[in-house]
Amino acid sequence: MSENLSSNERIKTESDGLRGTIIESLQDEVTGAIREDDQALLKFHGMYQQDDRDRRDERAEKKLERLYSFMIRLRLPGGFLTSEQWIAAHNIAGENTTGVIKITTRQTIQLHGIFKSKIKPTIKEFNKVHLDSIATCGDINRNVLCSAHPKQSPIHEEIFSYADTISKMLMPKTRAYYEIWLDEEKILDKKDEEDPLYQDRYMPRKFKIAIAIPPNNDVDVFGNDIGLIAIVENNVLQGFNIAIGGGLSTTHGNPETYARLGTVIGFVKGGEKTLKAIYEILTVQRDNGNRIDRKVARLKYTVDRMGVDNFKKEVEKRTGFKFENEKPYIFSQRTDYYGWYQNEIGKWYYTVFVENGRVLDDEQVALKSALLEVAKSGKVNFRFTTNQNVIISDVDAKDKQEVEDILRKFKIIEHTEGASVIRKNSIACVALPTCPLALAEAQRYMPSLLTKIESLLTKYDLSNEEIIIRMTGCPNGCARSYIAEIGFVGTSPGRYNMHLGGDHEGYRLNSIYKESLDEEAILNELDVIFGDFKNERTNDESFGDYSYRRCIKAAAIERVTA
Amino acid sequence: MLAEDKLKILLNLISNSSNEELAWMNGYLNGIVSTHGPYDIKPMLKTGVNKITIAYGTETGNSKKLATEFAAKAKKQGIHAKVQSLDQYRLTDLQKEEYFLAVISTHGDGEPPAAARKFYDHVHQNGFKLDKLKYSVLALGDTSYPLFCKAGEDVDEQLTKLGGNRIVPLQKCDLDFDSEADAWFNHVFHALSESTAVNVDTTQSVTPKKGPGKKTYSGRLLAHLNLNDRGSKKETFHIEIDATGVSYKPGDSIGIIPENKVSLVQHILAIAGVNGATNIDYKDELISVHDLLQKKLNVIQLPERVVKKYASVIQQEIPGTKIDLADLLRIYPVKDEREFTDVLKILEATTPRLYSIASSPEAHPDEIHITVARNFFTVHDELKYGLASDFLSHFDENNELKFYVHPNNQFRLPEEDKNIIMIGPGTGIAPFRSFIADRDATGATGKNWLFFGDQHFTTDFLYQTEIQNWFETGSLTKVNLAFSRDQPEKKYVQHKMLQHGAELFEWLQAGSYIYVCGTKDPMSIDVEKTLLQVIEEFGERSKEEAVQYLDDLKEEGRYVTDVY
Repeated sequence: MSENLSSNERIKTESDGLRGTIIESLQDEVTGAIREDDQALLKFHGMYQQDDRDRRDERAEKKLERLYSFMIRLRLPGGFLTSEQWIAAHNIAGENTTGVIKITTRQTIQLHGIFKSKIKPTIKEFNKVHLDSIATCGDINRNVLCSAHPKQSPIHEEIFSYADTISKMLMPKTRAYYEIWLDEEKILDKKDEEDPLYQDRYMPRKFKIAIAIPPNNDVDVFGNDIGLIAIVENNVLQGFNIAIGGGLSTTHGNPETYARLGTVIGFVKGGEKTLKAIYEILTVQRDNGNRIDRKVARLKYTVDRMGVDNFKKEVEKRTGFKFENEKPYIFSQRTDYYGWYQNEIGKWYYTVFVENGRVLDDEQVALKSALLEVAKSGKVNFRFTTNQNVIISDVDAKDKQEVEDILRKFKIIEHTEGASVIRKNSIACVALPTCPLALAEAQRYMPSLLTKIESLLTKYDLSNEEIIIRMTGCPNGCARSYIAEIGFVGTSPGRYNMHLGGDHEGYRLNSIYKESLDEEAILNELDVIFGDFKNERTNDESFGDYSYRRCIKAAAIERVTA
Repeated sequence: MLAEDKLKILLNLISNSSNEELAWMNGYLNGIVSTHGPYDIKPMLKTGVNKITIAYGTETGNSKKLATEFAAKAKKQGIHAKVQSLDQYRLTDLQKEEYFLAVISTHGDGEPPAAARKFYDHVHQNGFKLDKLKYSVLALGDTSYPLFCKAGEDVDEQLTKLGGNRIVPLQKCDLDFDSEADAWFNHVFHALSESTAVNVDTTQSVTPKKGPGKKTYSGRLLAHLNLNDRGSKKETFHIEIDATGVSYKPGDSIGIIPENKVSLVQHILAIAGVNGATNIDYKDELISVHDLLQKKLNVIQLPERVVKKYASVIQQEIPGTKIDLADLLRIYPVKDEREFTDVLKILEATTPRLYSIASSPEAHPDEIHITVARNFFTVHDELKYGLASDFLSHFDENNELKFYVHPNNQFRLPEEDKNIIMIGPGTGIAPFRSFIADRDATGATGKNWLFFGDQHFTTDFLYQTEIQNWFETGSLTKVNLAFSRDQPEKKYVQHKMLQHGAELFEWLQAGSYIYVCGTKDPMSIDVEKTLLQVIEEFGERSKEEAVQYLDDLKEEGRYVTDVY
């Protein structure tokens, strides 16, 4: 049996607490890469080895190896940074990376293009402002999401704090991160590192948790392995509905793989029991997940293989208590609250539109400079949304004008207000040139495609229609394209599967409508569908519901009747 | 050679003769000598000479090789020959010498080898007499350079001025020195033997006959690429030349005569108001003025001696300074086409540039690779490029490149089971690519340790993937790298040497050979200082002992450099 385990399983168990030979890899002078096994371990420390795929051929000719660099992703439960931390991130990005601060769909920031020799200095700098990148990648619980905007609930602060609590509970016990990157003394007594949750095998695959505060499903709670839906009555947190088995990644051409939305298995009262339930869901997955074939190792496959009820029973057995029936809740939107909003206690929040989450100064807007100046005022915090935007947060009423003046000076308000509705509802993943999985462009291409789609929408007078549109460069689903109303999934350079029929709120997956379309075909299809939508929609029917009725269900019926 | 009374007569005669008379006497004596037939070596036990000193000043090992061969021959004749490198030679011994032979090469613009510098300067001083000295000089050089064998000439002349007696005239040799060097030594034997007449004109130096000589090849360019990545401040070209039938060894260089830019040639022709298509006779060859300027003559930074000649051609006063031909023509114009033709005749040939060969005959059969850094510098805020590297940077694939092989007998791989340490930052990597490829191809069992450095890891790691492959397959045992500008404080190969000092010293103790290639100043100087430091620190030796340790390595041929 054990010889069938995937090689990642061997790497994990033999890693001596995620250490492997990372230190030796860092000292290899002849290469900018790290050793193959260490690449798998490095993810647990929050980094990916990447290379500039655009440069491969040219460098090979020059007898140079691939242009390796590393991406580092911070652990920011709920996506929160102080001004001081933002300034630090800004400076670190300027020093050791491409300079772009990328806000991710998992509510954190990541920096690209860090050369091997700069990893340690980068981590040390982050550590100075109490930031780390532990477990933001790899087969382990990743950054925990929480609905971003404090105006969503008077008890947002309380719910938000669960993100941090859960993150801490599910951290690995190994001190490897501190030893390797921060030169902490090596501990001799390994008992201190004993890890009852992860043992020496960690999870079979990545593990994602999100907390949603209805009515906004900005975190796409059903796209996570565990989705927590906060149940609040009379401004008191009652507990959480728990959904399990969400997950979006698939593999082209592998019918065993599929996107799946989480199944709500019940309600758990109170924080303590919720934490217990989460913990045991992980242990059941740890013990039952597929460790032979990584393509079908995520919780969603385990849940379907065991059956939802059996899985739930196993969790109940381990927690010693039963799930209550799920409590009613309603999601009505997933969009960020752009612009100024005030929360219950009078603090102000400005959500800035950040196209594809890329914070930089470009010819259109000097966003990075603007955010730095805002941070330097010392009067704000930063919160990131899972739509890759930033909320300038917790501004006292007396400071609002000062912040607004800075935003105006850098034309940030103009930029946010000027962006089209569809652009503000869009997400694209990183893809080329750095992502090793990418089959097609995403964030480099999406903006220009959107410009063309905007013209089509204008043509049918649909510019104000809130349509969620997302693009990923591969079927892995980082930009959650499978739960978009229009989803593009890259298949090869310049070609995308077009998915339609997801709903507006994130309850329903979309389906493939047409395969491997190039831009012209995409625009032709949308031209027809937008025209029909304009003419045929019923009252208040969203584009997602319309396209589901018109394109997906109709096609399915055709298939059945044919 | 001549007894004092005879010499007096001769010198008296010379000083009272006109140039024409001297030329006549010269021819007359030559005639007499030649009718006596070639010298042949007879047993010379009766010479009475039983001790000679053979001193050599070498850059690439050729002088040393010859000196050692001569000593062996001398021994067979019963003469004890002491062989010594000029940098080891005690200068005060010179006054005590009786029979002294010097083998000395010339480098660059008439310079002696670094190892002969002290001796060279010493003989240029006054205040001492070498009355006892009987000597002869064998000069090695390259006829492609205007100041061919200048260092040898100078030493020869100075020894006479100091009162020394020349026993055999100065012999100058081109790169194919073997037969002429042998002939010279035979002359020397002959002169040492009492049985032979001494009426040889020792003042008339002997230049090499035009023979098959140094062979010039023409090879098609097979590949030409810039090894530095985008964003680098450097441009280093890897050039592959078709060299079918050319034989060379790892460690050798090739000489290339760079051509002037056509735009520059046209500029010069325009200033001079001359038709480039006109054919003129140049060194027994009919060639157009245009081609002559483009392919043969140096027109950039003319040395003072050429500027002087220019001044006399156009009969004007010109301050002695280095200047480009175009500027000279602009400021001090020529009268007409004829005067310009005269100017062409006083210009010197473009000197070849030497490039260490980066390929191995075993690993890259029928090819020669070189590694050329494009030099650039600013003169009065104007960006200028080095002639040769610029010429090669722009050379297109499939063009024919003329070159000759310049052997470097000093810079050779040791026996296959010996360990080697290679220190070659920048283009200094070239001969080591040859060494490693050669050892890789032949399966040599010795261990190989490479130190390389440049500015940035990501853009300037020359031959990175090849080095990685050799490292992975074990053809390179150790690789240590220093990229000077990847961190706030500059780091160079010597820092890496020091960092691995303990192991470096272990390798030395185990009989390893050290090779250094790259820029002379400051790299090779810093590397040498660091070697001494390593020996001192990790070999637990005093400063003096460390110097001695390194000298011994040099003496054993285990510490050699190819620096420029």
